[in-house]
Amino acid sequence: MKFYGFAAAVACLVATPAGAQQLAPSPTLDAVKARGNIECGVHLGLPGFSFANDKGEWTGLDVDYCKSLAAAVLGDATKVKYTPTSVQQRWPILQSGQVDLLARNTTITFSRNATLGVNFQGINFYEGQTFVVRTKAKVAKVADLADATICVAAGSTEEKTAADWFRERNLKVTIINFQKNDDAISAYDQGRCDAYTAGLGALAGQRIKFKDPAEHQILTEIISNDPQGPTTRWGDERWQLIVRWVLNAQIAAEALGITSKNVDEMKAKSTNTEVRRLLGVEGKFGDMMGIGNDWAYNIVKQVGNYGESYERTVGMASPLKLKRGSNELWTKGGLLFTPPFQ
Amino acid sequence: MAFLRDRKVRDVLWQAAGAIVLVALVWFFVRNASENMVKAGIASGFRFLWRDSGIEVPFNLTGYKPSDTILALLWTGIVNTLLVSAVSIMVATVIGFTVGLLRLSRNWLLSTLAGAYVEFVRNIPLLFFVLFWYFGVLAALPTPRESLNFLDVAFLNRRGLSIPTPNDATGLRLALLAIAVLIAGQWGLARWARARQARTGRDFPTWAVGFVTCGLLPILALVAGGAATSWDVPTLRGFNYRGGFVLAPEFVALFAALSTYTAGFIAEAVRGGILSVRQGQIDAARALGLAPGRIVRLVVIPQAMPVIIPPLTSQYLNLIKNSSFGAAIAYPEIVAVFMGSALVSTGQSIEIIAITLAIYLTLSLAVSAFMNWYNTRHRLVTR
Repeated sequence: MKFYGFAAAVACLVATPAGAQQLAPSPTLDAVKARGNIECGVHLGLPGFSFANDKGEWTGLDVDYCKSLAAAVLGDATKVKYTPTSVQQRWPILQSGQVDLLARNTTITFSRNATLGVNFQGINFYEGQTFVVRTKAKVAKVADLADATICVAAGSTEEKTAADWFRERNLKVTIINFQKNDDAISAYDQGRCDAYTAGLGALAGQRIKFKDPAEHQILTEIISNDPQGPTTRWGDERWQLIVRWVLNAQIAAEALGITSKNVDEMKAKSTNTEVRRLLGVEGKFGDMMGIGNDWAYNIVKQVGNYGESYERTVGMASPLKLKRGSNELWTKGGLLFTPPFQ
Repeated sequence: MAFLRDRKVRDVLWQAAGAIVLVALVWFFVRNASENMVKAGIASGFRFLWRDSGIEVPFNLTGYKPSDTILALLWTGIVNTLLVSAVSIMVATVIGFTVGLLRLSRNWLLSTLAGAYVEFVRNIPLLFFVLFWYFGVLAALPTPRESLNFLDVAFLNRRGLSIPTPNDATGLRLALLAIAVLIAGQWGLARWARARQARTGRDFPTWAVGFVTCGLLPILALVAGGAATSWDVPTLRGFNYRGGFVLAPEFVALFAALSTYTAGFIAEAVRGGILSVRQGQIDAARALGLAPGRIVRLVVIPQAMPVIIPPLTSQYLNLIKNSSFGAAIAYPEIVAVFMGSALVSTGQSIEIIAITLAIYLTLSLAVSAFMNWYNTRHRLVTR
């Protein structure tokens, strides 16, 4: 009986007329191609991650991811429409299909994955929660904040992490929940709170916005592990595949030593098979996803590899001056790692 | 089809058809939404209410802790909404009546000031008011270390007003009991005085007696019950004052904004009601020799009330709904804790918004019902 079932299944597969590049349907990819741009849900305004300057040009690490996706799918990194989303808006906007993906400092958690109908496609920033305090308050470590008042954005992972951290250690703090990050920050700036809590990277960006950044100090102690990365809704597996492997391509390009400057040379001369596959010289990897074979070449050529992007937006070449830390390749002591392009 | 010629039958049929269409429409949307949510992998249902909330609400009267359920969080939000609404309604009514009466005063300065207040308040968005009271007043207050010190027991700073609380609350409970007795007594006294006035025509100074007993009885009770022997006095520990009770600046800012804002609208309703009382009534009262204060209290207000109450009711309803502006300044009312924190942490937007809607609807309908009852009861009996 079992044998007949198996035989029937094989017969079915064989009988189905299949071309060489028969792909599962992807409504999101079709819509993106028809529209001619990618709708990317980003943060309302966080220097270093997604921030619009006075000319309305977006820059940042998450913005660079959106640009890479546009370069891979449409061949042009400028074909992105940015939708700024608040902490509360982000899920409904993604779930209802108003954006094709979120790339906005959103922590990957179990309950979000299990109950919100969203999938996390990888990690483009290892964030860790800490606190910003006034320098004159003389706070050296997080436990010194006992009895303090702390401002936080309502509904963020930071809200719960901070509450849990102090509760576990039996320290009393007063946590004030604001609806928007910006309200929480301005309340802290006004002296309503002794500290404001968020991720280290986010704080480095927000500190620039204070009236006098020198009066504030970011604690070096990290109380949580908040990995963040591009997020898609459930369904449309081929779109999820593209989103996942665009991020992998950014990281793999750095690992393989491909930069925006040497990419043409590498494409023409490299004998490394993984480089040749990534840049579309061998293997037709783009075809397998339903996009052009020069997808990864376009990413590196137009946006750069992950390391270039990091240094420009949040790293030493930016006002945030964040060290690579966990966001370094695994070969150099960090956590960034990609499966092989094979 | 002869029965269709009956107008009553036709009316009932139309209404039934309307109701069926409405129910069908609601059912269609609910079913559609739940099907779409299942398809998109989004959790639905109301089980999330029993999950642990993990959300801190520092200003609460319910004894809520972050380890409690989301249902407890919702209840805390409701209590906070009711608290700020109730206190603001009382104060807004007092300010509103005063300003409304002053606006009709013959004193030019007073009536102009009252008019300016009303125009100022009515032409400024409420959100501005809330933010002004919050950030404006916050900025004016000192830091905890430089607190305004009231006799070493109460401290005012940017974190709020810290006041001591008694460790042993027996005396306090007795005082509360005394206040309850007092209210009942005052009500009985007013009834007796009214009956006596109807019988003999003699007036009794009910209010004066009320004020005296109001001041005395609770103090007597406190003395009798032994005033609290020890107090939990706020002390500066590290960053903040700990101990006692902290009146949060968010509460004060929202309360101040709601009461001063709504008072402007109430003042106009009061003015309109009073202007609707015919001059002849006032002239007649004056001819009877009543003093000006009593003319207002005994002749003008009772006749103006039926005109004032309907717009007053809608101002009360507006105030309750406007308390949701607390979300802008982190006052933990329903919208902030439930539609904000709980919604984002569970992601169940449709259920949470439906519950919040139902709560506001219930509150508003309850207030409307009470005001309608009050209006019917106090309607002028015209002969």
